Amino acid sequence: MKVLLVEDNKELAESISDYLRGEGYLIEKAHTVYDAEDKLIAFSYDCILLDLMLPDGNGIDLLRSIKQDKINSGVLIISAKDALDDKVAGLEDGADDYITKPFHLSELHARLKAIYRRKKLDGSNAVVFNDISLDTNRMEVMVNDALLDVTRKEYDLLLYFIINKDRVLSRQAIATHLWGDQADDLANFDFVYQHVKNLRKKISAAKGNDYIETVYGVGYKFNSLKQA
Amino acid sequence: MKLLTKITIWYIAIVAIIMVVTMLIARHNLELENKQAEIERLTDRNNGIAEQIKTGGLSSVHLEGEALTITKWAGPIPSSKTTVEENTVFNKHIGRDEHKITVNSFYQSGSDVYKISSHNYITLIWSSILQSLAMKLLPIILCIVIAASLISRYMLSPFRKTLEALRSFNITERKQLELAPTTTKEFKELNLFVKDMTDKAIAEYATIKEFSENASHELQTPLAVVQSKLELLTGTNIDETQAALMADMQNAIEKLSRINRSLTLLTKLENHEFVPSDIKFCRIVKDQLALYEDRLSLKQITIQQQLDKNIHTHMHPALAEILVGNLLSNAIRHNIEGGAIVVTLTQQQLRISNTGLPPELPTDELFQRFKKSNQSADSTGLGLAIVKQICMASNFTARYEYDGGWHHLMIFFDKNVNRSEVVTAVKEQVEETVLQRS
Repeated sequence: MKVLLVEDNKELAESISDYLRGEGYLIEKAHTVYDAEDKLIAFSYDCILLDLMLPDGNGIDLLRSIKQDKINSGVLIISAKDALDDKVAGLEDGADDYITKPFHLSELHARLKAIYRRKKLDGSNAVVFNDISLDTNRMEVMVNDALLDVTRKEYDLLLYFIINKDRVLSRQAIATHLWGDQADDLANFDFVYQHVKNLRKKISAAKGNDYIETVYGVGYKFNSLKQA
Repeated sequence: MKLLTKITIWYIAIVAIIMVVTMLIARHNLELENKQAEIERLTDRNNGIAEQIKTGGLSSVHLEGEALTITKWAGPIPSSKTTVEENTVFNKHIGRDEHKITVNSFYQSGSDVYKISSHNYITLIWSSILQSLAMKLLPIILCIVIAASLISRYMLSPFRKTLEALRSFNITERKQLELAPTTTKEFKELNLFVKDMTDKAIAEYATIKEFSENASHELQTPLAVVQSKLELLTGTNIDETQAALMADMQNAIEKLSRINRSLTLLTKLENHEFVPSDIKFCRIVKDQLALYEDRLSLKQITIQQQLDKNIHTHMHPALAEILVGNLLSNAIRHNIEGGAIVVTLTQQQLRISNTGLPPELPTDELFQRFKKSNQSADSTGLGLAIVKQICMASNFTARYEYDGGWHHLMIFFDKNVNRSEVVTAVKEQVEETVLQRS
């Protein structure tokens, strides 16, 4: 997947491209609106990560011109402003999703993947890993071809793990993913623990491979190399 | 009292005093003139009589009916040939005091000295003076009152317009004040001053708003940098001690970011930046309850809902979500394992009651910023402050009570509702619920 990252903060842009490159993405960076327009004329991208406050202009204006030129890339807005107006304006102007700073890179990745899937750019709505497969349309989980009875949160959690497989996911990142703005206190860690525990139990009960392991002190990791 | 009434009263008082004083002076002068003329007349008559005596042409006929006496004076002629006596005599017939003026003139006729005294009465009647005073004052007062009310309508209209403009001035609209032009110097000054002040307020407001947004932006970006670097670091080969250190750092960043967001929200609430609209509050409560469902079941909290339908409120939908969300997450966080939550929604109020440990702080203090019970040191301590601020922005009242193991958080939609009654009713209802449960 080819991604254009429009972000004026070089350190943050570096982190994002590091992470996404690790996931096998092709990343190009633009630090200004001018750079971005330049790149958009010459190349096409599957997804655009767009910061709203740029030194030479507003990301919203860039978004409008992207939509005007009928560029068929998914757009994920990254903004420090969680001003409701910005969010609404961005989505109305054709952005696919909106994420506020500071965010977890794993969350950004999950959102990006979701846009990619929604746009059916890879022509499939299935996320498959070995014996586990998820149908993202019906929000169903199959383990060894048998339907697994999971709650909505457990489904979200498993999808998040598989998308960010072999990455250490902190409890904060998981809590934010599951509850969004409502992950407003650290007491949610207990809930993260319980959800992970229940999910692992259910997968094991279905004779599935338990890929999820605890990373002491930090969180969890979906270890793709782990063998039962 | 209206300014105009005050001015009129003062004006009438001053006019009345001036009129009384001038009246007194006029009366005094009149009396003096009158007296002088009378004295001169009487002296002249005495001289005439004396002349007639000297020539011997005076007969008793001439003196018949005249207020005149001629007596022989024993002793030498006084140094002043004419003396004047004044006294007040009560006249029985007409029933009032009369001012009597007597002029005595002394004449030498041969060896004899005669004293000729003639007198007359002059009268200045007080009642007629008072009457004329009243006749003058009444039309003047009438004129002043009518003129004042008519003129003020015209003269004070710029002032009224300025007041009206100020009353409808809303800083969040950031619309400059439009003031009607006036030719009155004072009002011009007032308008200039008011315009200056409001323009300045608008400018300051814009600066503060911009600052709060920029501050949030400027803080969130470095936070995002730190968080992302930390996340990348966590992915490298680290040992357990390092992992624990990083987890602590991540917690701190998370908290910092949340406090920042909450403070920004509070600032926006204080600046009234959320435009309210009519929303279905019952729908929002239901949606929020659904969002917290998994956490309720994980903590084995039983939830009882008594939600009336068709509850509409006038507020920003996002604020309604934050309000209900904060209350629910509080009710879960401060709950005990296997506890209970009762959510009741009526036309008057939303009430969320939950089981939990007794509060360590007085319940009303918990609405203050950064005040929190120690049992949940993980929270930002801004949740209830936000609840309170949202209530203020939406014209609701929030109330927190602790009673017999139950925490009650109540949001009253109508400020005028009699709260003490409702609170008693709430307690009874919850007691019933407790009995049912046990």
